[in-house]
Amino acid sequence: MSFVDPSDLGLLPTFRRLLRLWRDQWRLGVFGLACSLAYTLISTAIPVLIQQAIDRSIVHHAQPLWPYLAIIAGLAALRAVVNFNRRYATARIGVRIEARMRELLYQAYLRYPRGFYDRHPTGQVLSRATNDLYPIRYFIGWGFVQGMQSLMMITAAAVVLTVVDARLALYTAVAMPPITVLALRFARRVAPISRQVQERKGDVTEAADEAVVGIEMVQTFGREDDVRGRFGEKAEGVRSTVLRQAGVESRHLPGLYYLPALSIAAVLFFGGRQVIGGHLSIGQFVLFETLLLQLVWPLEALGWITNLAQRALASAGRSFAWLEGIEALPEPARPRRLPAGRLDVRFERVSFAYGGEADVLHDLDLTIEPGEIVAVCGPTGAGKTSLLNLLPRFYDPTAGRVRLGGVDARDVPIAELRASVALVTQRPVLFSVPLRENLTAGREEADWDEVLAACRAAGVDSFGPSLPEGYETLIGERGVNLSGGQRQRVALARALVTGARVVVLDDPLSAVDTFTERQLVARLRPALAGRTVLVATQRLSTVWIADRAVVLLDGRIVESGRPAELVRAGGPFATLFGDEVVAA
Amino acid sequence: MRRLGRYLEGRKLTAALMVLVGAGNAAAQTGGWLLVRNAIDKGITADNEHHLTIVVAIYLGVAAAGWFLQAMLIRGLATIGQAIVIGLRRDLFDHLTGLSLRYFSQQKAGWIIARLTSDVDAVSDVLSQGMPTLVSNVMLLPAAVTALLIADWRLGIVSLAVLPPALALSRWFQRVSHAANVEQRNRIAAVTAQIAESVAGMAVVQAFNRERRFQAEFDALNEANRAQSTYVQKIFSVFFPSIEFLGVLAMVAVLYVGSHLYAQDTLTIGTLITAIYLLQLVFQPLQELSDVYGQLQSAGAAMVKIASILDEEPEIRDRPGAKPLPRLSGDLDIDSVVFAYGKDPVLHGVSFRVPPGGCFALVGESGHGKSTLARLIGRHYDPDEGAVRVDHHDLRDVQLRSYRRQLGVVLQDPFLFSGTIASNIRFAKPDATDEEVQAAAAAVGVDRVAARLSGGLEHEVREGGAGLSSGERQLISIARALLADPRILVLDEATSNIDRPTEVLIERALDRLLAGRTSIIIAHRLSTVRRAEKILVVEHGRIVQRGAERDLLSEDGVFRRLAHTLEGGDETEFAAAG
Repeated sequence: MSFVDPSDLGLLPTFRRLLRLWRDQWRLGVFGLACSLAYTLISTAIPVLIQQAIDRSIVHHAQPLWPYLAIIAGLAALRAVVNFNRRYATARIGVRIEARMRELLYQAYLRYPRGFYDRHPTGQVLSRATNDLYPIRYFIGWGFVQGMQSLMMITAAAVVLTVVDARLALYTAVAMPPITVLALRFARRVAPISRQVQERKGDVTEAADEAVVGIEMVQTFGREDDVRGRFGEKAEGVRSTVLRQAGVESRHLPGLYYLPALSIAAVLFFGGRQVIGGHLSIGQFVLFETLLLQLVWPLEALGWITNLAQRALASAGRSFAWLEGIEALPEPARPRRLPAGRLDVRFERVSFAYGGEADVLHDLDLTIEPGEIVAVCGPTGAGKTSLLNLLPRFYDPTAGRVRLGGVDARDVPIAELRASVALVTQRPVLFSVPLRENLTAGREEADWDEVLAACRAAGVDSFGPSLPEGYETLIGERGVNLSGGQRQRVALARALVTGARVVVLDDPLSAVDTFTERQLVARLRPALAGRTVLVATQRLSTVWIADRAVVLLDGRIVESGRPAELVRAGGPFATLFGDEVVAA
Repeated sequence: MRRLGRYLEGRKLTAALMVLVGAGNAAAQTGGWLLVRNAIDKGITADNEHHLTIVVAIYLGVAAAGWFLQAMLIRGLATIGQAIVIGLRRDLFDHLTGLSLRYFSQQKAGWIIARLTSDVDAVSDVLSQGMPTLVSNVMLLPAAVTALLIADWRLGIVSLAVLPPALALSRWFQRVSHAANVEQRNRIAAVTAQIAESVAGMAVVQAFNRERRFQAEFDALNEANRAQSTYVQKIFSVFFPSIEFLGVLAMVAVLYVGSHLYAQDTLTIGTLITAIYLLQLVFQPLQELSDVYGQLQSAGAAMVKIASILDEEPEIRDRPGAKPLPRLSGDLDIDSVVFAYGKDPVLHGVSFRVPPGGCFALVGESGHGKSTLARLIGRHYDPDEGAVRVDHHDLRDVQLRSYRRQLGVVLQDPFLFSGTIASNIRFAKPDATDEEVQAAAAAVGVDRVAARLSGGLEHEVREGGAGLSSGERQLISIARALLADPRILVLDEATSNIDRPTEVLIERALDRLLAGRTSIIIAHRLSTVRRAEKILVVEHGRIVQRGAERDLLSEDGVFRRLAHTLEGGDETEFAAAG
């Protein structure tokens, strides 16, 4: 299934694509780089001016001091403005590119076929559009320009110091290589550990989640100590990893902090002797110290930036691979409209397999007449859900075709097809919006009376009005949690509201209690009148909703007929429902 | 904060030591610059190379000591911080698992889990990353100011003049950036929630042609997040260059005043130079402390929420002098029990008595009090009035553990823990041997379910039992109850779809499990109702009918109506067909 799981892009292609995104923001980018250059020049000029002020005005009184000070203050003000602009401009590029990548990914998510979601767990899909984007944002919004600025600062300082005293410059730069090495090493070592800290925290979440969700079992069996022990182990895992991280920090950070002292000592020792010997002025001595101290951060930053660049390229490589390597469900080249009126559904010699695996459906023929309700029965894993999923084109058959009203489903524009096929999935998904909006999700302009009628048919009326705010009650994690049975009923009503001509129900009442199920079966039949319905079920009580039942075994239809006839026939259908049938 | 102090117990010495180490570190940093002054004045300008060499050597020694002290500080504070965090996390978890089900039914699981994870993490971040920065900078700032004043009090006062605006700027930054960061987190959370919901519900989004609507909603959220990120960046872009600018201003002032003092010969050149560098040590803590401030705020907010859980009193706990229960014969007496979750009672004076080994079925529509009754029997709640007694012991007078060890519960949709099928069965009796586990599995037919899975009984169950049908999960939980060998059994029958072969297995398993035990079954199927000696029909929190199936069917009452819906539907249809 390589088409839903493409391999990550290499470094160069990724870099080219990032560059293309960056080019959209080139004005800001060039502006940011120009500011960096200005910042570097001013930051080098200020220490030089201080040196001049000390030598010519303070020590020797050759010139008045105030012009120097005025220029320094003026340059500092200018630098503040330049620095603001550099930070703000580059940060905006990062933020924009992050938002753009996220937008592209989300757009793509909405188009991706089911196969993609079978393959990739929700957490992975989610983090690729959230956490994975941060390295990209920081690299583009900070790292890239900061890196260029670091190089400029190092060059400028090297030029100035060499001009003043080349040999002293060589001696006093003694701390700079170890700072660079230490910073690089720290960035390389701390990154995997902080990832491990995140993983350990994930373990804690998992243990907490399990204990909280399963609390009734835990308390009933008196296993509190057990889960406490387990949780304690996970918490200990976080602690030891955090302490390991602190260990790495303690081996590197103080070094970064105190290594510059080597350079200061070198300036004192060698520079001091030069001053004593009269080869260096006291102002130049200060210039050496100031410029060397000023280099510490740019050097450290280089360490961070190389690391950040690697992470950014890696995660951008994964994102681009998804954006370019995964194909959405193709729209028909020559679209055809569905005919008006009731639709028949024909599965013609349909075979289906999930990407490269064994066939789930074999050469299957099934016709559902316009307005007919057909129940698909069969044990778990017989292929019921796979069959149903072919109708809204969640998947396409690997052989044969599915026709609605005589038209191949693949020739109908996807939006039109899906507007004509209403679906209730096995585990219904409701959205975190008010109940009313959930009900009208498939047809927003639906008349409220129609919605209420659908609610009556689907049994939403028995609990909807008594929710805290009735049909306006917010559903979901931030609002009211409905039970599985209630969610199924809302999903059922939602499907009825659409007015779709074909309705596909995947075990729609499986979580509804037995009493309610009986009532609903009686009410649903009239509500479904006139529509072509395919309903999969494992309950005999739901089969009674259908005009005809077919039994699916190992991807083939082995029996078909009116439910009552099938009961008497004593074939696979009767075996499937066993005692339930015998009891009758 | 007082709560956190508790976990310092036994580590006070280390904590005190860390304060000393922090002070030493600050002294090393500022003291180094005083040595530089000495080297300039007594060595360089005095043309004394020998003195210069000695001072440089001392300077390097001080730097090495500072290096060592800072490494100690990072390690030491992390150790103390993590000791506090693990204590807090464990106590919170222990406390939580002791709270009654009422608490868990009132709070959303997600909310509780966030307290155990992201809130404790927020405290942890401050303690392990924020603390070293906080401790070193809180000490460095006064140390640098003191060193400036020691170097030359006049220059010290001049440079202090810039401090108030710098402090004001920092305050402004802390306030504004904190508010902006909080808002930023809300907005990215909204974006994340939108993506998560779309991905989880993609089938529905696509089936109902909702792509455009979702895209529009997403675009609005994504744009709001981008705007807020930009705003946050703007605040940062204003603050740091401004502080840098104030630093230069202070230096200009020092140079100006210093030049006059130097001209009057009341200031050495070494002091003037040193003052310039000490100034940087004053401004650097301001920037770093501003970064930590946000972390401190979030940790404070997190602690408030954590405390709200720790302050929750456990509802069910052993009374002083509670006795352990001897092995029960299984007499279960529900005596005039009244119970309310909030104001309105859900049980209004329910009474019944199950003799040892008896099997009673609770029948009725959902939401009428059956599950509440089951939970009172499991002592997840205590009745508001009346009593639940086993073998004539009021449950409130006995040790909870000793009772629950003799109680078995099978829930409607049992939760499985991560681990293997075998470890889930063993959950009820951790010291059970492999043979016992296998025997229990074989007795209820779990071995047959396991046979279709890789690894058999050692098959890894995914979180919550995903990948197994609810029937299969219930079967595993029956094996679990069987292994525990309880005297009293509460069983909430599965309502959701169970394929026929599994259902047959469950029925056989129940034969095995119920034999010789007192049992209460919340029944959803007629076949199960028939198993019971006595049927209790629950309606609106009362028992409205009781008796054997045959007797109840002969009465014109709730049970007949229920039985009719349960079974009648089929009969009429089949009658029509026949």
